[in-house]
Amino acid sequence: MDPTEKPRIHHRAAHEYVVWVIGLLLFAGIAYTLVTNPRYEWSVIGRYLVASTVLKGLLLTVWMTLLVMLIATLLGLVVAVMRSSRVLPVRILAIGYINLFRGTPVLVQLILWFNIAALYPNIRLGIPFTSIGTALNTNALISATTAAIIGLSLNEAAYMSEIVRGGFNSVPKGQLEAADSLGMSEGMKLRRVIIPQSMPTIIPATGNQLTSMLKETSLVSVLGVGDLLQSVQLISARNYQVIPLLLVASIWYLVVSILLSYPQAKIEAHYDKSRRSVQAGAQELITDPTLLERAT
Amino acid sequence: MSADETVTRASEPFRPPGMGDAEGPGTVHIRKLVKSFGARKVLRDINLDVACGEVCCVIGPSGSGKSTLMRCIDGLEDIDSGVLKVNGEHLGYVEEETHFRALKRRQLRQQRTQIGMVFQQFNLFPNMTALENVTVGQVLVKRMPKAEAKERALSLLARVGLHGHEQHYPAQLSGGQQQRVAIARSLALDPKVMLFDEPTSALDPELVGDVLDVMKQLAGEGMTMMVATHEMGFAREVGDSLIFMADGYIVERGDPREVLANPKEARTQQFLRKVL
Ligand SMILES: Nc1ncnc2c1ncn2[C@@H]1O[C@H](COP(=O)(O)OP(=O)(O)O)[C@@H](O)[C@H]1O
Ligand SMILES: [Mg+2]
Repeated sequence: MDPTEKPRIHHRAAHEYVVWVIGLLLFAGIAYTLVTNPRYEWSVIGRYLVASTVLKGLLLTVWMTLLVMLIATLLGLVVAVMRSSRVLPVRILAIGYINLFRGTPVLVQLILWFNIAALYPNIRLGIPFTSIGTALNTNALISATTAAIIGLSLNEAAYMSEIVRGGFNSVPKGQLEAADSLGMSEGMKLRRVIIPQSMPTIIPATGNQLTSMLKETSLVSVLGVGDLLQSVQLISARNYQVIPLLLVASIWYLVVSILLSYPQAKIEAHYDKSRRSVQAGAQELITDPTLLERAT
Repeated sequence: MSADETVTRASEPFRPPGMGDAEGPGTVHIRKLVKSFGARKVLRDINLDVACGEVCCVIGPSGSGKSTLMRCIDGLEDIDSGVLKVNGEHLGYVEEETHFRALKRRQLRQQRTQIGMVFQQFNLFPNMTALENVTVGQVLVKRMPKAEAKERALSLLARVGLHGHEQHYPAQLSGGQQQRVAIARSLALDPKVMLFDEPTSALDPELVGDVLDVMKQLAGEGMTMMVATHEMGFAREVGDSLIFMADGYIVERGDPREVLANPKEARTQQFLRKVL
């Protein structure tokens, strides 16, 4: 046969087959025990998966996660800007904040916020060392849910500020010089140059924080806040089905964290436009004015 | 004691014939400028006048301080001492009886809009289209209405030969196109002095010509320009004056054709032997 026409054939290596066999056995084993072990109580899991108490807990977990991440991102942005301030006391304040909140366990912080009334029975809103302002009762002001949100947000903001700062530092120096040269103020630079360009760095890291936060909110169950974990624990305290109910919670955590990663991919794609390479179709649309007219 | 009086005696700067005003908008005036980074003196004793409409080319070996000089004139670097006037104003400072008092940052920004800078690495904003790059300064800094800024940007882009590329992101443009967008971006703020820091050094050879053409056109329209460059042909053809820098000093200054053909200083001769 003409050697220039001979097909090129590749064979799977022998160990690849071995790995396939081991893998299949492993999956089969897991499936078998899941199905045959009665102590999983799949019927119980199925019943409580959509129980209204569980769904209420799930809802609280989800909105608390989103609210905490929103507050933490905005606060983190502020701390990151303070962290690179020209004014020393502002910088010290930011560094102190970051170290304090990253250096202590978040569980401890949550319990502290829950018991803040022991430290400050009344909160005065007003100007320090003067009689201007009003005093409020701390316990009335800070419920368990509020304490949970404050605790998680302040802690997360410390991490977010470092993520934001990393993003800011990833913007090339030449970009800042170009902005300076155009006479842009610090605020304009931040909004139009620094933030948009650090998004590709910040978004993936924030996405990771978001999925960890979803699970971190389970800590608030120690404060008696009715989140997903707390709601399944309340049920199992009555019916002693501890394992099936923990699995109910786990399934929901798993589902939501997978769902949360979807918008992340979307946002990443959005901020990727600056790296977008020339695409034949898009190119045509842009350079051919008649096409643009037709489109609009 | 006026700072100007003491220093004019220190040097007799070359004045190319037929140039415009030496004071006021479109001029650069430098006396005994010193700039150091830490303990390292990068600019040692710079004396220079660029008249209105003059094209001053800056040559010299790498590390001689060309970029630093440009960056000082653009207000990107604070100088240690000396007099630095751009467009007839002390850059970033007000002269007082005994000292220079720093301007408010807002005032320095105002001065910066009067000075355009084109960088070796273009430094276009990658998150904006060519059109947005050119409009952003007008809208944000000059507070121009969006429609008017866009119209000006379109005509500027057409002027630098980029009609049809308005909606392209920098990543979709060649280096030469990017540099021309960068020139349009600077021009959009209507500067009186344009600084070019090796504008063609990062370009593929076949793209250099387009950028130089835009710069020639600009020079022909009477823009005051300082151009750090290795393009001796450009200096010869377009330059009104040429300075040769080495080790933070201006070693030689004169008519570009004259200096390039008959350098007086040994240091200049040595450099030109290598590059010509
Ligand atoms: N930000 C900086 N910090 C410290 N040294 C610098 C800085 N910028 C420039 N230099 C030094 O100043 C000298 C002059 O640099 P530069 O002005 O870039 O020269 P040129 O543009 O002529 O090549 C070089 O030795 C360089 O290492
Ligand atoms: Mg340089």
